[in-house]
Amino acid sequence: MAMTGVNVHGSYIYANPRHGLRAAGFAVLVIALAAAPLVAGDYQLHALIVSMTFLLPALGLNLILGYAGMLSFAQMAFFGIGAYSSALTAMRWGTPFWLNLVVGGLAAGIVAVPLGIPALRLRRYSFVMCTLGFAVIAQTIAKNWISVTRGDLGLSQVPRPRIALWNGGFEITSITSYYYLALVLSVLAVLAFLTLVSSAAGRYMIAIREDETLAASVGTPTWHYRMIAFALSAVFAGVGGSFYVHYFTVISPTVFDPFYANTVLVIVLGGGVGTVGGVVLGSFLFVAVSEALRIAPDLRMIAYGLLLIVIVFACPEGLLPLFIRKIRFGGGTHVP
Amino acid sequence: MSPDPLAALSIRGIEKRFGSIVAVAGVSVDIKLGEICGLTGPNGSGKSTLFDCCTGLQKPSTGRVYAQGLDITGWDMHRIVREARVIRSFQKAVVFRALSVEENLVLCGQMIAFQGMASTFGVGPASRHRVRRLREQAGHLLELVGLSHMRHATAGQISFGQQKLLQFASMLMPEPQVILLDEPMAGVNPILIDRMMENINRANQEQGITFVVVEHNLDAMKALCHRLLVLSRGELIADGTPDAVVRDPAVVEAYLAG
Repeated sequence: MAMTGVNVHGSYIYANPRHGLRAAGFAVLVIALAAAPLVAGDYQLHALIVSMTFLLPALGLNLILGYAGMLSFAQMAFFGIGAYSSALTAMRWGTPFWLNLVVGGLAAGIVAVPLGIPALRLRRYSFVMCTLGFAVIAQTIAKNWISVTRGDLGLSQVPRPRIALWNGGFEITSITSYYYLALVLSVLAVLAFLTLVSSAAGRYMIAIREDETLAASVGTPTWHYRMIAFALSAVFAGVGGSFYVHYFTVISPTVFDPFYANTVLVIVLGGGVGTVGGVVLGSFLFVAVSEALRIAPDLRMIAYGLLLIVIVFACPEGLLPLFIRKIRFGGGTHVP
Repeated sequence: MSPDPLAALSIRGIEKRFGSIVAVAGVSVDIKLGEICGLTGPNGSGKSTLFDCCTGLQKPSTGRVYAQGLDITGWDMHRIVREARVIRSFQKAVVFRALSVEENLVLCGQMIAFQGMASTFGVGPASRHRVRRLREQAGHLLELVGLSHMRHATAGQISFGQQKLLQFASMLMPEPQVILLDEPMAGVNPILIDRMMENINRANQEQGITFVVVEHNLDAMKALCHRLLVLSRGELIADGTPDAVVRDPAVVEAYLAG
């Protein structure tokens, strides 16, 4: 049985990618982002990099919530697992960037399996509570396993991304090259996500979100696909964590704070759950807004909170569906 | 009594208890291959629970279920559909509302087109070809049930009667041996009821699909079914031709006693 409250967004979810307009919009966005360093300053580029860092765990959450219908708070736990494992691997063995990404993604995905086995027996709110528990446990471990994580001090001087097949290569240091690295990673992640959700497996996941019993009655091994969605959402988060740690070069247990988990949730729900464009939009908008509000640090969180309330009332399905309706009413163009 | 290996479904001593409540009290019956068999009875007589026990939604407390001699007792629902080719409908959950009409059908056909779990992640030419074939098959079925004009409509937005026709077409996608229909005509207008009966008859005659139909609409049942079973308080109280069964004093009494 799908989570209540998710189905209402369902009419915006399409399993078949027959959308020329979506492809065109995606291409325009990528070109615009590729050109951004020509006009944007270092700080704006930094904000865009942070946005793209959050895009990965947000895509993961979108997979498990928007497609398989389960709300998970464990995304930042997997993000942290990806970050720590990637940082420790790079610090110990000096591994190249691509391998760190693989390690971060795999570590998160592998940890997700034994966690998923008991958690996926639960339904609805019990599952949500269970995943909240994972985040708390992850933080506790990061704080107390001092010989590995250095506890609250965290890891510092994490190596910068080294672009090489194995040895040598070059290190990413300038903000512009970080930016392009993040952009390439984001484009690959979005393409991977689109590929996944438009496959037969993606269709089964949507079926599970819509109605788990009905899905089983048409031959869906529902438990298996829920597990796959959970593990893949962890992989997305772990890869994001890996990029994050090699960009900031530090990591501490604060990464498990509810603030970050909430940001990911806001990106997905505010942008448009069950849509890819919505999550992309949400990542840029909410992270950028959060960064922009730094001009008034005292009021920052209050303003952020108020903004969320306004959005929830103005467009409960998220911003992307709202924009689509505006375009439809305005020009009569049918955008999926 | 040993199971009949030629029966579409051999139900042997199925009992289902919920605590002290006995929902199904030891039902044994054979559903012959190729028949349209009605199952009726007062509310709470155990029809849906018997369905649930045959299709894996619930495990029977005791008793066994065989599909053409294959013991499917206690199997998960998805396995019964895939391996025993026994598929069922539900009274309320009818279609995947967020998907388009066509996508509903494609989804239901996937269990045949994509057998292994790994294949469902494929997006190459072979997978696209399989989906194209499923869309063609879907188009053909939509024409048969008279829904081809709403192929791209969102399934949640078409009328309930149309959703039931879509559900019926969906169940034909995986080419099942046995279809169990749980109140296919409830909440459907008379014109669509006729169309539903036509579709059931056609699938039965042309594809040889066996049907078990739970339904309260006795007129429809008399017109449709070759055989009628009546449950009352979890027990089978009548089994015969529809005309004989509706005149059976035990049946009349069960209905009047509620």
